[in-house]
Amino acid sequence: MTEQRKDILDMLAAGKITAEEAEQLIAALERDQAPATASHDSRPKGKVKYLRVVVDATDNGEPSRVNVRVPLQLLRAGVRLAALVPPQALVKANASLSDSGVPIDLTQLKPEQLEALVEHLDEVTVEVDSPDATVRVFCE
Amino acid sequence: MPQLVTVKVNRPDHRPIRVWVPVLPVVLVLFPVVVLVVLAAIVACVVFRIGVVRALGSAWRVISALPGAHFDIEQGRTAVLVAIR
Repeated sequence: MTEQRKDILDMLAAGKITAEEAEQLIAALERDQAPATASHDSRPKGKVKYLRVVVDATDNGEPSRVNVRVPLQLLRAGVRLAALVPPQALVKANASLSDSGVPIDLTQLKPEQLEALVEHLDEVTVEVDSPDATVRVFCE
Repeated sequence: MPQLVTVKVNRPDHRPIRVWVPVLPVVLVLFPVVVLVVLAAIVACVVFRIGVVRALGSAWRVISALPGAHFDIEQGRTAVLVAIR
């Protein structure tokens, strides 16, 4: 509860304003707060189409840059294609991942979970800043 | 389906290379190879007990979704750009 809303309810409880006046004040308060809340998210709300990965780094004093743009449709298609991978291949991939120190069980990843992940990628922004490199992953 | 693939390569002390590859004419020229690849894919699907229609459909979706992909890698004065339209 915001401070202003609490003040209004306190005035109502103290009998300084009527219930109708309190309702009008709260409505006015909500009207004022709505644009302020909306302005926090500056990203466009339209349908995003691409996943962008931008890496700016310095290797041996030379600047390097990786700029990748992948259509989200391609990710969705890739998820559908990955669903066709036979289980025996997934078991081998699990073993290789485990040997590499990445203990992920790919057989537990369901296509619908991956599709849900891709669907919600538009809300994801990853930014990594280090002295030598900057990595940004976002959708546009 | 992709229409045009653009490849640009910049190297120090070399002239920049720019190649525009029109996909459809190249696919038509390589049609016998494409047929062989599709046949090999069908055999692989049968061997690994994967639905052939589903697999070919998924592969087609991937190819259809390629337009818009853009890969740009630069290091110092060396740069490689691949753009699919």
